[in-house]
Amino acid sequence: MNRALYAAATGMAAQQQQLDTVADNLANADVAGFKRATATFASLGEGLGTAPAGVLRSFEQGKLEKSGGPCDLAIDGPGFFQVERDGASAYTRAGAFSRGADGFLRNAEGWRLSGVRIPADAVGLEVLRDGRFTARLPGGVQRAVGRIALAQFDAPERLQPLGSALFAATPAAGKPRVVAPGGARGPALAFGMLERANVSIYESMIAILTAQRAYEANAKAVQASDEMLRIANNLHRG
Amino acid sequence: MDGIELMAQAMHAARARLDVSAANLANASSGGFRRQVAHVRLGPAGLTVAATEDAKPGPLERTGRAFDLAVAGAGAFFVRDGGGRAVPERSASFVLGAGGYLRDELGRVLLGSHGPLRAEAAATFDARGVERAGSGKAVDRVRVAAGTSLQSGFLERANVDAVREMVDVLAAQRAFESAQKALSAIDDTRAKAVNDLAKVSA
Repeated sequence: MNRALYAAATGMAAQQQQLDTVADNLANADVAGFKRATATFASLGEGLGTAPAGVLRSFEQGKLEKSGGPCDLAIDGPGFFQVERDGASAYTRAGAFSRGADGFLRNAEGWRLSGVRIPADAVGLEVLRDGRFTARLPGGVQRAVGRIALAQFDAPERLQPLGSALFAATPAAGKPRVVAPGGARGPALAFGMLERANVSIYESMIAILTAQRAYEANAKAVQASDEMLRIANNLHRG
Repeated sequence: MDGIELMAQAMHAARARLDVSAANLANASSGGFRRQVAHVRLGPAGLTVAATEDAKPGPLERTGRAFDLAVAGAGAFFVRDGGGRAVPERSASFVLGAGGYLRDELGRVLLGSHGPLRAEAAATFDARGVERAGSGKAVDRVRVAAGTSLQSGFLERANVDAVREMVDVLAAQRAFESAQKALSAIDDTRAKAVNDLAKVSA
């Protein structure tokens, strides 16, 4: 009976972790550039229950949505914006940037987009799908102010998450490959758009219900084996 | 066989059935897990319990990762394990690693038509296992068993049905209780024989 008890306990722990992962996805469903995670589990062997096998992130494209920000960018296709802060590099698909006093584009956490600097007197900004930035200056003058490249990884699943939508390179993810956007098949930039999280509320709700019921079923198995132990203990009636 | 001994075996068998169902329930979220089915048989040695695997495939679940491969219906694809053997597999999550090889969570390499398959990040697979580069050009083919339909972006879930397992848990629990009641009844009868019969003859 202990075998059933321990197996059911691993099942309850697995469903708990499943719920945590889905809840985290749901909590970030409105974060631009967020990528959903899936907890995976593997059998421990005959009759022994289950154990976490890892968490895999899906980098499936999120929907592009028109946004209000004057410097919002989205990537249509695989790849990441390369951003910097305090000499460190990181990668993100969240393109809600704003223009700082020094002319650099930064996101809300202060990470700076590499490759462009907007002149102080610019009154407008235009970004083409190939990553070229053009500033509109007073008097109708247009000036090219830089071009950004995107970074791609062989195994983006192996990037290390630094926050909701920010990642650090790891050896397992492979070396970042610099890709120019706007090619015939490669990624392209969309200006004035943001990429929504690739979280489906409906799929998440179903996952929560399933995990909840599986948790209950495992708890019932614990109760059943406890009841059997009680009966076995009462066999001896003095 | 002695009645008490037989009922004790019945209690053991019920316990073994619960073990099997509890392990099935615990693995409800283990990818590709196949449930075990407990069979209780009465033979010359009394009651024996054996567990066999239910080979029915589990449902496929969409993951949206191009390197998650699963087989729809019958068939298999092949991975190479640490010992160099080609092992059939029906569902695995691959990640592109060093050298352009696709490795699953256990580090096994996906096999193509000429040994380990090489891929680039933008590679895709069709239902026949043909690997296409980002340009759309066919570059290799996953080694599959004849008649295999491969699904990219899907994984096979466990074939555990929580309702059926719950019924089995309850059935095992009741069988355990019944065996215990029968055991106690036999015990009571013997107690009468030993204590009360002796009183009458005295």
